[in-house]
Formats: sequence, structure tokens, C-alpha cells
Amino acid sequence: MPVLSDQQVRGLFAQEAEVRLSHLGQLLLGLEQTDGDRTAVDSIFRELHTIKGSSAVAGLPEVSVLAHELEDLISDLRTGGSQPTPDVVDALLAGLDGLAVLIGIAAPGTPPAPPAPSAPPAPPDVVVEPGENAVSAPPPVAAAATAAGVVMVPLERLDELNRLVSESASAHLRVGRMLSDRYGTDPASISEFNDLSRALNDLQDRAMRTQMVPVSTITDTLHRVVRDLARAQGKDIRWDTRGTDTELDRGVLLRLSDSLLHLVRNAVDHGVETPAERAAAGKASQATIRLHAMQLGSEVIIAVTDDGRGVDLDRVRQEAARHGLGTEGLTDEDVAALTLRSGLSTTAFVTDVSGRGVGLDVVRANVEAARGRIEVRSRPGEGAEFRVVVPITLAVLRCLLVEAGGSRYALPFHRVVRTQLDDVDDRVRAEGRALTWVDRQAVPVSVLAETLGETAGQRTDGPLVVLADAERRHAFKIDRLVGQRDVVLKGLSQVLPNVPAVAGASVEPDGSILLVLDPPGLMQRARHRHTTGEHEVEEPPAGRPRGSILVVDDALTVRELQRSILERAGFSVRVASDGVQALSLLAVEPSDLVISDVEMPHLDGFGLTEAIRSDAALANIPVLLLSSRSTELDRERGLHAGADGYIVKSGFDEGSLLTAVDRLLGGRL
Amino acid sequence: MDAVLLPVGDALYAVPTSWVREVVTTPALTRLVTAPATVLGLFNLRGEIVPLLDVAALLGAGRTGPVAFAVVLDTRLGVVALSATSFPARRMLDAAPGTSDLSGAATYRVGRQLAVLVDVQAVLDAVTAHHPVSPPGAPHTALHTTGAGHG
Repeated sequence: MPVLSDQQVRGLFAQEAEVRLSHLGQLLLGLEQTDGDRTAVDSIFRELHTIKGSSAVAGLPEVSVLAHELEDLISDLRTGGSQPTPDVVDALLAGLDGLAVLIGIAAPGTPPAPPAPSAPPAPPDVVVEPGENAVSAPPPVAAAATAAGVVMVPLERLDELNRLVSESASAHLRVGRMLSDRYGTDPASISEFNDLSRALNDLQDRAMRTQMVPVSTITDTLHRVVRDLARAQGKDIRWDTRGTDTELDRGVLLRLSDSLLHLVRNAVDHGVETPAERAAAGKASQATIRLHAMQLGSEVIIAVTDDGRGVDLDRVRQEAARHGLGTEGLTDEDVAALTLRSGLSTTAFVTDVSGRGVGLDVVRANVEAARGRIEVRSRPGEGAEFRVVVPITLAVLRCLLVEAGGSRYALPFHRVVRTQLDDVDDRVRAEGRALTWVDRQAVPVSVLAETLGETAGQRTDGPLVVLADAERRHAFKIDRLVGQRDVVLKGLSQVLPNVPAVAGASVEPDGSILLVLDPPGLMQRARHRHTTGEHEVEEPPAGRPRGSILVVDDALTVRELQRSILERAGFSVRVASDGVQALSLLAVEPSDLVISDVEMPHLDGFGLTEAIRSDAALANIPVLLLSSRSTELDRERGLHAGADGYIVKSGFDEGSLLTAVDRLLGGRL
Repeated sequence: MDAVLLPVGDALYAVPTSWVREVVTTPALTRLVTAPATVLGLFNLRGEIVPLLDVAALLGAGRTGPVAFAVVLDTRLGVVALSATSFPARRMLDAAPGTSDLSGAATYRVGRQLAVLVDVQAVLDAVTAHHPVSPPGAPHTALHTTGAGHG
């Protein structure tokens, strides 16, 4: 084996050191938050010791000397001679920056002379432009680092690569089918074919990963910024991250990293108060800035939250007024959102740390360039949250595969609450629709194929999949469960209109297309189908009327509208224009149901309901109140008066009226 | 004008060649649930997911029967395909001899048939906006006297 040249040795050392320095950076930042955890101190010592040894071998004595000095600092911590005070950590971090510069792997902008605390090192997993190394590093080592294999690849080329890899895999499957169809040979019995299968699978896996990076690739940089800035401003801030293993397209994340940096700087700079101010406001002296990432459907949400003073709404209002914008009638949330508008960055929202004055409008523009959006939530005195929501055009999404109406669909796993057998004993009906018990909660049930507009009426005896969005749950009946799998979600063509209930599609290994459903859209569609009675409301039987209804309303239009809807549905209808007239009609002949307005002359709906309940001959007639008053108090008052149902007129439509009527009359006729 | 002819049942449509990338035989379609009827489905074109549009439905001329061919178009918004019921031949069309009574679009004589020129951009806009193109008498039409290639 040939002996490695000096240059090759340094190249190897640069690669090794890059990983070790990144790890050291994390350990040091952690040290502050864990208050000198002994295991961490030992790890830091080991890493530094290794760097010292390797650098000596690589012929870089100045690296070795610096590593040795840092090792001494850590030794003091180990023996208890010193504590991991911020000053000590400052010195150690600055030392790391110095090592990076000496080794030639420092991020651009890092000062050449070690040791000096300054800009954070580049996140290790993000592709680094070779040119940047060449600028900031001593020539021989930089060349080696470049040669070590960091290459900028245009995203389009990765896209193309991914597509071709999938295509190869599906061509391979077709060859397998051909072997068995035409030659009667089981392809699995041919070892060469199996080798190729394995290689293609691995290739597909690797190719896909080239595009996706976890959010954690940039959080170390952000942590360092928060820490350094807080120290400089005499603030005490705890950095907290959640969900940083959330993966998203590398291109999207790179575009976002600047915006997130600005949001984090903003939070330290303008959001978080000094410890004295916090104490005066009765808050804990240590503030928290949190970065929380999560994937929701085909979007990734990254929220930067602080528990500082919140957005200065008065100031924003003043600025808005100065720009001729009226803020009367705007909610606090709307006013906070104004900070994202161009030209409306108040000084409180300009990040001028390190002299780079950038307003939030620029952050917004950058986020929008990544096809995302940004939202602000702020509570005065309690803090602010900036949410960046970006789509992931290429995201690995764990999905539950189901079959419904004879077709296969994928349901994003994070929306699936559970799957369960559709037990008849668990089924109940309310408000004209079917429900089932899920964890002691009654959850509406729909047939998935029908919700998707496929094969209405076809019965299936498969299980239920319970889905959830932020607010509710909904169970969908399917033909059968197929399994679970990671799918690469691709957005649908931009030519297509917005397709409700479909989040995207994925190309299957056999070349077929798998639709990935969008649970919130699906649930909304199921609810809509129910409330509009598109499916659930039965056709009225011909002949005998389904029941008699008295409609009471002083508005002629409403009265007649209801009459026409109800008569078309097969009911016999009488009308009255106020409570008094209604009572006299009921005295002549009772109805099966009374539908009444609330506000009417002479006797209103509440009064009418009470009168009906107190008359023994009429007391059992169900009363449905229909009102433009939508407050909970009105509803309660109606139910207190003895009404059986309460519909708000603004939400009034044919479907909801008939559903309510069916519900009230269902058991009686 | 250099065009690809799309036979749809008895009717014949013409698309300027500048739009056309390739022609695919009997694509395996996946129905796109909840999409409008003008979208016949999606198919896999070497790893790309391509929507197949019903050209007859888009032009208000009924529905396409079984799809035998898909004419794949390159557009600004990505790749889409139009359906055809028999082989889409490439043809040089002479100057427009007439216009359609229904839409005012240019018609060309092709043997014993008339081919109606499709304004591809208008068809795409109609799909995106989710409304049918050229209801009879409406001013907005996908059938124009000149075919505009994409830039």
C-alpha cells in the first residue's frame, strides 16, 4: 500500500477535525445549559486530546499547541479547579473558532487570527462551497478539504438523478415480470437479479436522502448566535429546540437559514428583556428562546418563540398611522402581522446587530421566495412567536397505505389516530349521521370511497381509520389496510386546480401512481357532504306525508323558504307569523314538529317554546329554534326554555335544516 | 403550420407542434379523486407525474372515450398531456380555410375531415381556474384563429 502524501494526511485530518469540532461545539454549548455535566466535560477533553494527537501527526504544530491550551482549560474543569462559567465557555468557543481557522475549515467571515470569538462555524452537514474554503484557508489544507469531496450540486441535477433512479427501479421490476411471464423463471431465484434489486434499493434510498436534511443542520449555528448575542447584551437566555430531526428539502432549508437567523437575532435583540426588566415584570430572570420544527402534511412549520416582551403593538400602530394605514378594527394579531409589511419595520423590528439592518419585511420576502409564509403571534408582556411555514415539495412522509373503493391511497401517518374494527355495537346515530366510539368520544364515520366521490353505495366490511386535524377527529371506513411505508411526496402539477383532499402523489416502485390524501381536506369534505346532505339525507318516500310541521317566522321570505324545502322533502307544512298565531293553530291541530324564529312580535320563540312545554296536550312536540342570535347564551336560553334544537340562521341551509328535522322526527314517525 | 392531429371520437383537433414533447401509447391512468371531470387522471412518464386532460370535455364537446394515446405537452407550468382516441399524426396544415361556427376557431381541411385548432394556453388556464372553456356563445374561447406556441 503506498504511503500517503503529507497533503493527503492533512486532507484526512481536515475531514476528521470538521466532525470533531462540530461535536465539540455542541458539547460546549450544552455545557452551559447542563452546568458542567461531568460526562460532557470528559467527552470534550477526549475530543480535544484526539485533535491534538492527530494534528501533530498531520504536521500542524500550531493546531496541536492550541488544542493543548484548550485541553488545559478543560483539565481545570475536570479537577474542579474552575467552573464552566460563561467566560470559560467563551474562551473555549473562541478556541474552537481558532482551531477551525488554523485547520482551514472555518466558515467564511471568521477572523484569521485565533483565538477570537466571532461568527459561528458553518453547520457541518450543509454543503459548503469549495470556493469559500479556498478563500479562508491556508492553501494546501484547503485544497485537500476540497478534494475530500465537498461538491456543490445544483438541485435540478439531484431531481433528475432521483427521477432516473426511480425509473431504473421500475424498469428492473418490469424485467422481473417479463422473466416470469415469458420464461417461467422466478426472478427471485436468480442471484444476479437479486443483487441488482438490492443495489437499486440502496441507490434509491441514498439518492432520495441527498435532497433531505434535518432542521438540526442549522440549529447549532442559531444556538451559537443566541448565546453570543445574549452574552454581549447581558441577557440570560436558554435555547431550546424541538423536532429538529424534521427533514426538509435542503434547498428550502438553505433559503430559510438566513431568515431564521434574523428571527432568532430579533428575539434576543428586541424580544427578550434584560434580567432586571424581567424581574421587575415578575418573570423568571432566565428567558427562553425556542425553535420548534414539525411537519404537517406537505408543509414544515418552524416556529421561533420567545417569552420576552412581545411585539410593541402601540409602536406598530404609530408607524402604521405615519404611513397612512388605519389600524382601527384590527385585532392585535393583525397589527402584529403589519410588522412583516414592507416599509413598516419599526426600529423595534430592525435587526441592526452587526450592522446588518434587515427588517422583517425582508425576512418575509425570503420566506416567500422559498414558497412559504410567515405568521406572527404576540402577547404583550408574554412573548412572541414567528412561524415560518414552508412546503416540502420533496419530503419523506411516513404513510399508512389503505385500499378503498378498489383503489390504493396513502394517509400521512401523523394524522392517523388509530385503526379499529368497525364494531356494530360501537355505532350510534346523532344529528342524522353515523358515529362510532373512539376512546370514549363519539366520532363521525364516513365511507372513504364515498367521501372521495367513488363508488357510492358499495358496501364494505373493512376496518375504520381514525384521522385527526387540530380540532376534530373523523373515522373513515376502508376496504382494508395494506401497510405502512415512507413515500416521497411530490406536489401535483401546477396546471391542475386545487384538488381538495389530495396532498400530492408518489411514484410507486412498480411505476404506478399512489395518491397521498390530505386528512384535514378529507375531513372537511366529509363534513361538507354531511351538512349539505349530499349523501346522508334520504329521499322522501312518495305518497303519505312524512310528518306535519308548523313553521313560525315573522319574515315572509324565511317562512316560505322553509315551507318549500320541507314540502319538497315530503312534509306537510303549516305556517304562522308569530307565537300567538302558532299557539292558536296548534290548539286546532297539533303538529309533529314546530320550527320557530326567536325574535317575533307578540310572543317570541322562547315564549312560544315555554307555552308549548307547559301545555299538557302539546308538551311532547319537539321545538326547533332558528335564530340569527348566535351567542352561547341565546342557545342556552333556548334550550332552557325547552327547545330541542337551535340552528343559527347564518349557518342555515337546506341540508342542515333537513338533518335537524330528521333527527328530531326520526324516532317518532 | 406544423401540427399534431388529435382524433377524439369523430372529431379532430390540431395542436401546434411547438407545444408537443412526445406521444405516449395507452398510459396507465390513476384517477385523481375529487378533481374536475376534465382531468382524466395521472400517469407516470419516466418518473414524472403527468396529468392527462380530456380535450373534448375542456372544449365542451362531450367526453373522450377510452384513451388510446396521450400527447405530452411542455408548458410553462410543467408537463401535461391531452387525450386522443386514435393515433395522433403529425401534419403540415395549409392556411386556415375557415372558422368554426361554434367557437370561431380556425379549421383546417385534413382529407375529408375538418381539424379545429386548439389554443393550448387557454385550455391550460381553464383547467387551472377550474371552469370549462368556451361555452357556446361565450367570449372566452380556447379555439382561436391563430395557434400560439409557447415562449
